[in-house]
Order: sequence, then C-alpha cells, then structure tokens
Amino acid sequence: MRDTNFVLIVAVVSVLLPTAVVIAQNGSPGAPPAKPYTTPKTPWGEPDLQGTFSNRTITPFERPANVNGREYFTAEEVAAMEKAAAGRGGDEGRNRGTRGDVERAYNDFWWDRGTKVTTLRTSLVVDPPDGRVPALTEEARKRAADEGKRPAFRGAGANGRGTDSWLDRSTFERCITRGLPGAMSPTAYNNNYRITQSPGYVAIQIEMLGGTRVIPTDGRQHVSSSIRQWLGHSTGRWDGDTLVIETTHFTDKILYRGAAENLQLVERIKRVGPDELEYRVTINDPTTFTRPWTLAIPYVNTGEDLFEYACHEGNYGMEGILSGAREEERKAAETKK
Amino acid sequence: MNRRGLIMSALLLLVSGAALGAHHSFAAEFDANQPVTLRGTVVRVEWINPHTWIHLDVKKPDGSTERWMIEGGTPNTLLRRGLTKTSLPEGTELVVDGYKAKNGSNRANGRDLTLTDGRKMFMGSSGTGAPRDGKDASEK
Repeated sequence: MRDTNFVLIVAVVSVLLPTAVVIAQNGSPGAPPAKPYTTPKTPWGEPDLQGTFSNRTITPFERPANVNGREYFTAEEVAAMEKAAAGRGGDEGRNRGTRGDVERAYNDFWWDRGTKVTTLRTSLVVDPPDGRVPALTEEARKRAADEGKRPAFRGAGANGRGTDSWLDRSTFERCITRGLPGAMSPTAYNNNYRITQSPGYVAIQIEMLGGTRVIPTDGRQHVSSSIRQWLGHSTGRWDGDTLVIETTHFTDKILYRGAAENLQLVERIKRVGPDELEYRVTINDPTTFTRPWTLAIPYVNTGEDLFEYACHEGNYGMEGILSGAREEERKAAETKK
Repeated sequence: MNRRGLIMSALLLLVSGAALGAHHSFAAEFDANQPVTLRGTVVRVEWINPHTWIHLDVKKPDGSTERWMIEGGTPNTLLRRGLTKTSLPEGTELVVDGYKAKNGSNRANGRDLTLTDGRKMFMGSSGTGAPRDGKDASEK
C-alpha cells in the first residue's frame, strides 16, 4: 500500500512539475520572457515605464494550503480557476441574513476583481519561499492586542472597528489612502494606475481613492525623519532599466499588517514586455515582521484611461456607519430602561 | 484529480485568493437582521465615488410612495463596462434585494438589482455575465 502511494505521488509530481516549467518557458503571463526584453527609452534617455496599467488578478495573495507548497499552478488549475472566475455571479457561498452576506455588498457585476491569473505563481508573496507573510514578532503581537487602547490609531483597510468617531474608521473608509504598499496592491475594484515621467521624476497616479505619488530620481536624499507622512517619503533611482524606490518616514496613524512608523519599503518596477510591468516590493520592519518579505505583482497594460475618484464627495457610507451606531446605542439604552 | 475535484479545488483557490471587501464596511452601515425587497421606479442616479446611489420611489400597499436610496458599487467599474449615468433612466422599474440601513433611514444596499424582465442588473446578457452593450442580438 505504501509503495502504491509512493508511485502515485511520484507520478503526480512528475506530471505537475514539467507542466509548470513548460508554461514558464512559453512566455505566459507572469513568466520570464523567452528573450530578454529591451526597455524603450524616453526622449531624454531614461527607461520608459509610462502607460496605464491594472494589477487586478485572481492569483492568491498568499499561497493556499491546497496547492501543497507548489510554486506554480498547473495549466489545468489555471483553466479551472479562470473559468470559475468568469462564471461567478457573486452569490457563491452567501447566506442571506448574515453579516458576511451584508459585507459582500452586491453581486459580481459591481466588482472588478479580474478573471485571470496574471502570474502562474501560486501566490503574490514570492519571498519567503513558502509564499506566506512571515510571522509577527512578539512585540508586534503585543502591540496588536493593545491596539484598541491607542486613540486614533486605525489600520488601512481594517474595517469594522470602533464607531465613536470617524477617527475610529480606517483611512480607506475615510477616503484618505490605503497606505503603502496597500495602495499598490490589488483590491476588489479600481485597480488602475497611470505612470508618467519627466526628466528626474516618475509619477504614479492611483485610481482607487485618487492621488499621485511623485518620485524624484535626481539623487536627492530623504527629508528629515521628523517629517512623517501617510505614504512616507520616497526617493527613486534607476538600477539599469529598473526603477528602485525607497520609502521610509511613515506616520504612526496608519497600519500595514501591523507595521506603522518603522515600515521601510524597497519597490522595484521594470518592464518585462511591451504590455507588462513587474512590480516588486520588499517590506521590512524588524519591530513587526520576523523577516523581510517580498510581493511580486504583475501590472498589465489596459490601454484605457483612468477615471477620477472624488471619494469625499460621495462618502455617504461614513455618515451611515456612524449614525447607524448611534441608532443602535439608542435602541440598546431603551431596552435597558 | 477528477473533474469535480478540480472545479472544487479551483473554487477554493478563488475564495482563498479573493480580495473581498468594498471601500467601506457594509456590515457596519447595513443591518443583517433587516433584509428588504423593494420594487420601485428610478427617480435619479447619483453617479459618484466611492459608490453610486440609486434613488427609488417605492409604492407601499396603502398606495402611498416612499423614497429610498440604494447603494451600489463604484461608477468607474460600470463606465468601463459601457454603462453611464443614463443607463438607468428615470422611470425604470427595479427590484432591489438588500439590507436596510442601521440608522433607520430609507437606505439599503443593492445586493441584487433585478430589472422587471428578470435580468439581474446588469448580468446575464447571453448568460455570459457581460453587460448589455448593444452587441448582443437579443438587445436589439
């Protein structure tokens, strides 16, 4: 029996592995191109990364348990995932009358989560090699447990926290920012970016919540560390055809997976083909993560324009959340009487 | 792996990888204990970010009319699918399945919006999930 299992495993592995390798060699999305790609240059001689891109993908953020540690999906798995994504309506796994159903908001027509894997990798996390976000340090776990005691300290994208004030809600809900690298990572819709360049500058316009990152590549140093910003302070340089952005000086008012003012990012953006950029970001904060870790996210040319996202103007949601909490408190007080 | 196993596994992978979550918490704004089904006519559409709002006149059993506001997704996604502010003109009949606002006002999320011919907004053109963009013969 044991021998039979062993033979079966060997057979499965020997079928799966070459499939992944063959896909990778054939220049499928996310795979290294067969021939080195020559990046075009701007008229002033810098690598040209300009265009409008989307990073939406159905590739999981972290490696799912059911791929058993494999780095690449098989072609069969990709076909099945893309078919399922194209056919989904938004009703899958929903139970009427539950909090989870309310949180899913609406059917799939309103979402724009993508229907394709844009990389054959089984996760956007490419380092550590297990494709998982590294464990938090003991200090970070303790901080997370105490987080509720810190006023006005709420995380980007972390929904469902306090309702005493708008300050208790995430900076995403408040239409401020998803932070970094949150704003450069795919979400449920508006995953669109426009990159434009001028001599010594690269600008990255982000559709979700609006806003533009302006990255100088003229060799300037970071500003004083007493200056803290939502998106930190970024300086850029060219490493061959790759734009390298180093970002530090984040505020303590925004969280990325438990990291705040000590977060340091190194982003590397390069063209891997006429219609695709590879975006990599290495996330480091020794006070939060037990080791640095890296995401690799394909940015695919959309050939479309960006639309404005004047978020504050229509933010009825914030009013609804806070007034809803007041109404629930009023009802609870009445019940007590 | 058999076919059924592969499909289940693909769905599992999708669920585990899904970047779910709207711009803000819907569960904080709307009440899971107050599901509503509303049938009404479109009065106007607020084509705004972060979310569209459809204003709907709903006829009550006693004949009077109640004004409701229905929260939908970002208009940017709909624009890319060829829809505009005028795609739901005044007077369009809609059935809304959603949840009522916790603050007690006549607001709800548009979990499912169905046109009166049975098409889920705006899904189901030729069963592909594509919106009505005029390219489908059945739309002519």
